[in-house]
Amino acid sequence: MHMADALVVPAVAGTMYVLSGTAAGVSIKKVREENDPKKIPVMGVMGAFVFATQMLNFTIPGTGSSGHLCGGMMLSAMLGPFAGFITMIGVLLVQGLLFADGGLLALGCNVWNMAFYGCFLGSFLFWRPMMKKGASRAKIIIASILGCIVTLQLGAFSVTLETLISGVTELPFSAFLAAMQPIHLAIGLVEGLITAAVLVFVYEARPELLWGIGGEDVVKEKKEGKLSFKNTIIVLAVLAAIAGGIVSLFASAFPDGLEWSMEKVAGTSELEAAGGAYDVAAGIQDTTSLLPDYAFKGSEAAIGTSFSGIVGALVVVALMVGLCYACRFFLKKNKEDKAA
Amino acid sequence: MASIDKQLKELNKIQDLQQRSQWMNILHPLGKLLLSVFYIIITVSFGKYDLVPLIIMSIYPIFGFILGELSFKDGLYRMRLILPLVLLVGIFNPFFDKNILFYIGGTAAETGAAVQGGFAVTGGMVSMVTLMLKGFYSALSAYILIATTSIDDICYALRCLHMPKMIVIVIMLIYRYFGVMGAEAERIITAYKLRAPSQKGIHYKAWGTLVGQWLLRSMDRAEDVYESMLLRGFKGDFFTSKKSYGLLDILYVIIWTMILVLIRSRVII
Amino acid sequence: MHTGIHGEILRIENLSFTYEDNNHVLDDINLVAHDGESIGIIGANGIGKSTLMKLLVGLLLDYQGTIEVAGHPVNKKNLNHVREHIGYVFQDSDSQLFLSTIEDDVAFGPRNYGLSEEEVKEKVDAALAKVHISDLKNKHIYKLSGGEKKLAAIATILAMEPDIIIMDEPSIALDPRNRKNLISILNDIHSLKLITSHDLDFIMDTCERTVLLDDGRIIANGKTSEILSNKALLEDHGLELPLRLQK
Repeated sequence: MHMADALVVPAVAGTMYVLSGTAAGVSIKKVREENDPKKIPVMGVMGAFVFATQMLNFTIPGTGSSGHLCGGMMLSAMLGPFAGFITMIGVLLVQGLLFADGGLLALGCNVWNMAFYGCFLGSFLFWRPMMKKGASRAKIIIASILGCIVTLQLGAFSVTLETLISGVTELPFSAFLAAMQPIHLAIGLVEGLITAAVLVFVYEARPELLWGIGGEDVVKEKKEGKLSFKNTIIVLAVLAAIAGGIVSLFASAFPDGLEWSMEKVAGTSELEAAGGAYDVAAGIQDTTSLLPDYAFKGSEAAIGTSFSGIVGALVVVALMVGLCYACRFFLKKNKEDKAA
Repeated sequence: MASIDKQLKELNKIQDLQQRSQWMNILHPLGKLLLSVFYIIITVSFGKYDLVPLIIMSIYPIFGFILGELSFKDGLYRMRLILPLVLLVGIFNPFFDKNILFYIGGTAAETGAAVQGGFAVTGGMVSMVTLMLKGFYSALSAYILIATTSIDDICYALRCLHMPKMIVIVIMLIYRYFGVMGAEAERIITAYKLRAPSQKGIHYKAWGTLVGQWLLRSMDRAEDVYESMLLRGFKGDFFTSKKSYGLLDILYVIIWTMILVLIRSRVII
Repeated sequence: MHTGIHGEILRIENLSFTYEDNNHVLDDINLVAHDGESIGIIGANGIGKSTLMKLLVGLLLDYQGTIEVAGHPVNKKNLNHVREHIGYVFQDSDSQLFLSTIEDDVAFGPRNYGLSEEEVKEKVDAALAKVHISDLKNKHIYKLSGGEKKLAAIATILAMEPDIIIMDEPSIALDPRNRKNLISILNDIHSLKLITSHDLDFIMDTCERTVLLDDGRIIANGKTSEILSNKALLEDHGLELPLRLQK
């Protein structure tokens, strides 16, 4: 689900940076208002925890495959949505840098697609309303599963939109959507189940650690209204199937309009991204004209793509390789001479 | 489940790379960070048919990998996580966009007229290749950054850019404790595997207890970390020493920026 | 910061403490300690050693009685003063070392007290020299062995030059050579040291005075050689003779 740098144009990446940045700004303000210095180390350690748990594989019953933990939902259940959001930003940034999961430019998109939905919608739409009058095993399970499914669906939908608006794919909107949404329905369900299992454990062991649990008695409502894990899975599987049906209906019926409007957007956003650089460039080209004879015939027409153009480019690259190796050789020699 | 081991090894490798006394490692982190981001922006700003300038764009990763003495294999290996989505997005382009851009071989390759014997290259093929190139380049340039710059230095650069302190501290802590937690994860999995030898992953009945207990332990650790900070005078702020920059730091960024702008504006080629 | 006080530096009088859930009680603890002393705090699991230590550094408040650190009563208002004089080495070095390089981590304390970068550097170098790990200065913490981490953790405290150093199970998870090295390093540190440990041999090597706790009370307070050789006393309170005295 991590968005890659290659899939977004700068305009989309920038927009998402602004959106995510705004959410981050609000979150920082909110966390500061809480004035709890302990929150920072807890955020750091819990972030590392979520990061590390993503390396664990959870066997999905009845299948050979495995799932992972839904970080945003879990973090906001432990830390609250604002601190959870900040923590997720940290996790996504470190993930992107260390393991190339996601990218530097796409970070804004990733924060939005995963952290924003996971933390804010997950907690404000499901967790808090459901826990307002006290928590229970069943409520935690349902909130976690619904939260994860919905936030993952929205995340996948956003990935689709961002990619299409960036204009890097020729894939029709409906086909792309049909590929993304059902997979993420399954993933969301599994992540929700794992998240639910973990949060239920925390609730039973140390309920005071959970965020946003209301009601006078945080004490467990034992037995009453208690659904077994198995029953819950069945109920939710049915719910998920219905939701999936609705999504595919939506995907097949609705997209044409969206697609059309998106193409319009895509056409302009691409041009806009290049505009500034183009103008400057034209000026530079006129005045300096570094390699006047190096322009190939027809390179203007097919936006510089021609067979000879490619060959020329490859020659430049080969020269660069040679040059770099030569530099490295001399640098090393220099070092050895110094050492000697 | 070998993935934990693999990821920890990868982390170790990157940390070893960051510790080298290579000239690129010593460059000021702010310049390296900005340059990496700028390179990626330029790369992805190319249109989907801009194959030629995109090929030229490879000179930056080539420069970084050769002079930074990094392994291309390791850099490419890092593509595996984003590759599926990039592939999904790009692989269908040849089927949808059948505009013929040019021919390879044949007689009148450059004219665009009907040719015999030439291989017709369609827009979809080119846009698929450019997308892949963009994916490779952005991953490689991020690798050049992280292999020569520690997370602490990147955090320092982020502070220079006025990224809020809270986020920066959280990033530093996540990075510091990821290694510790990763090792814990490995121990947990080993202990689990030894008692459940035939399973591929964690059985659903153990999801809650296994991860939940670990989570509670982690919360206790967070408490210890906080106390350890408090006892050393922590008042909500982290202070770090300043880094100085020299001529090379500035030149490195300026020269590369100029080259990239020239490529983008198609002065080169 | 080291006050240079000679003589009494820690005073505990009639200290009692109860957790909210009525657990882990400390009952009427009295203890006076002087500069340069080294005191072992021993007792079976769960008898209140950690609680006592946390009270001394003000991580737990709301106690009855008196605790004075370098003349400052430990209370909410005084916490900053108190913590300038007392350092705590955690059992788990990974919790203590939360930054990536040794240098940054050791500098964390001095920087928080607003010292200039030059002063910070001096303190860091001095602290690392005291635990003989100057060569590891720029190393990343994840590259350290358990023994090196422990020494780095001690350096983070020494850099603040406290009058009192509290150590929670310092010898735990150390191999024999690292343990021996730690003993000689501790014996060269002249602040007041309070060391809790189940490793009674370690206490014998590092502490001239020992306090035996059981059930929240001080059972014995005297010369280490006398207390740790008193088989009946130790066994009555859930402990056993140090290995070297066992036959």
